[in-house]
Amino acid sequence: MLEIKNLHVSIDDTKILKGLSLKVNAGEVHAIMGPNGSGKSTLASVIAGREDYDVTDGEINFLGNELSEFGPDERAREGIFLAFQYPVEIPGVSTTNFMKTAVNQIRESKGEKPLDAVAFLKVMKEKMKLVNIKQELLSRSINEGFSGGEKKRNEIFQMAMLDPKLSILDETDSGLDIDALKIVSNGVNSLRNEENATVVVTHYQRLLDYIVPDYVHVLIDGKIVKSGDKNLALELEEKGYDWIKVKN
Amino acid sequence: MIDTINLKKILSEEKDSKVREMKSSAYEGMAASLLRYKEEYKYTPLLRKIEKNFKSLTPEKSLNKNIEDYKGLIPKSEKFYLFILNGNYEENLSNKPNEILVSKYSNLSTKQKEEFSKSYSKYDDSKNDFFSSANTINHDDCLVIHVEKNKTLKENITIINLIDSPKPTYFRKCFIVEKNSEISFSEEFINSTNNISFSNTVSEIFLNENSKLNYYSVQNMNKNYHFNSINVLQKHNSTSNFHTYSFTGEIIRNNLNIKLEDKNCYANMYGFYAVKKNSLIDNHTSVDHMDENSISNEHYKGIIDEGSNGVFNGKIFVRQKAQKTNAFQSNNNILLSDNAKVNTKPQLEIWADDVKCSHGCTVGQLDEEALFYLMSRGISKKDSISLLLSAFSSEITEKIEDEKIKEKYETMILTELEGLNHG
Repeated sequence: MLEIKNLHVSIDDTKILKGLSLKVNAGEVHAIMGPNGSGKSTLASVIAGREDYDVTDGEINFLGNELSEFGPDERAREGIFLAFQYPVEIPGVSTTNFMKTAVNQIRESKGEKPLDAVAFLKVMKEKMKLVNIKQELLSRSINEGFSGGEKKRNEIFQMAMLDPKLSILDETDSGLDIDALKIVSNGVNSLRNEENATVVVTHYQRLLDYIVPDYVHVLIDGKIVKSGDKNLALELEEKGYDWIKVKN
Repeated sequence: MIDTINLKKILSEEKDSKVREMKSSAYEGMAASLLRYKEEYKYTPLLRKIEKNFKSLTPEKSLNKNIEDYKGLIPKSEKFYLFILNGNYEENLSNKPNEILVSKYSNLSTKQKEEFSKSYSKYDDSKNDFFSSANTINHDDCLVIHVEKNKTLKENITIINLIDSPKPTYFRKCFIVEKNSEISFSEEFINSTNNISFSNTVSEIFLNENSKLNYYSVQNMNKNYHFNSINVLQKHNSTSNFHTYSFTGEIIRNNLNIKLEDKNCYANMYGFYAVKKNSLIDNHTSVDHMDENSISNEHYKGIIDEGSNGVFNGKIFVRQKAQKTNAFQSNNNILLSDNAKVNTKPQLEIWADDVKCSHGCTVGQLDEEALFYLMSRGISKKDSISLLLSAFSSEITEKIEDEKIKEKYETMILTELEGLNHG
């Protein structure tokens, strides 16, 4: 589904990713772990198409398309979803209106008819249950005045609404208490199937108790230095990142 | 220099002695207003453009328009409307509520004229503003709108001001709202000429004790140079709400001057402008707190597209007597391109010591982070920008009390945003 080859990325002439390769197949969950500043969030943003970054070398292939010429909107229409580490507050636009616009633009891009108000509301109500989010919250401006947990639940709600093929969760556990973490993880798990894939970007092993990965990759200084199964995450938790740094 | 007026001719044609006196006095004040012009129009070369495009400021006389041709422009969805063609009130194209007086000055009775002359041109800014004095001199027949005391009109009255003359046009109105009355107007300025034209409108509004006025205004001026001056005098406990929406025009200059003469007055000024296609929109406002315990609230927001200019100048005066004044002002702008410009200036003069005043202005760009967020959900760049800009405007539109007008204005804004370049 996703194949990243030898990816080099800079921002303002600072090299952040230095030859990263990663392959994700449908039905898989991958965890990307690494210390602060290793390039995890950059990787997530670059896949989603953030324009501040310069891809200086390498390529990202998604479902047979090389993505370099695709804007963030086109990537989303191809089925890529990024759950933001810091969801943006947008005063004056309600989440409901935002999602209606997004869902229908994606549908139109696939040649499907837009959902009318009734059909949309039906889908929305169904997805709201997944992350235990109230309609009142969704009729407010996007993320404005939301608590940390509400913001993250809103991300997963949006993910549910858009039904992506590849979901990238960028530090979704940051700022979450244990109850919110459970709700968010349950939401993510119930959306998993054989057709889609998930990439979880995180510092801590904690989230991986709830969203269990098939593969764990350790990202240090812009490169994946070690890959393994979920036990690698446990080993990291015990020994810390220095253990790998020393070995390298 | 442009032939500003042909005063002798105008005066010789004027039979009403009071009007003649008023026009002469405006003429005498013109020199003084010209001295102030340079400062007051620092960023807005209106006079230069008018001089370049027009030989004379004198309007066309006797246009002989066929009224039938304009019937199609009557708004079908509105109950009450006043139709004004090139400054001339067309009674046959209008439908006014019975409760209020709407009449040309020339049609008033002698007694009514006597009464009205106490207000007429008493607060029209002629001494300060060149274009206001030009209006006082050149306008022909003021439209008088009088709401007697203790009347509350729930239904809004639409005022359609249509410009289809290549010569300068002058609109002149005077609103008098007597005590305990409440009324709402929504005004539209529409220019249907395809060539350069010039319209000049001056309104005087008198709000007596306990009265309330909602005043909505939309300017869709096409290739018009538009000067718009609204001058308000408020008495005890009166409330005014102004909502000014400016979209297209070569140059639009709005002067909104409010005097809060007595105690416990309340004035709200909200404005939104979307400047595009190399045009300029200038909002000059002033609010004068003359007595205690009044509140004024001002919020203007604007979007400036490539090659266009915005100007905002907001004055607040708090006189020594006006203790316990609350005066707030803010102006926010989004520049859509490197090539867009705004000059914004808050100006506070406070002589009283027990007051709460605040002011602030911001000039920024589209929030890139928000844009990425919206796009990352599959919304096209163009639509994401439109969403963000309409959200930016919503802080102003949400102040509109009348749901029907609100919806209409929001739709209008969306259409305007479609036409933006985004640099």
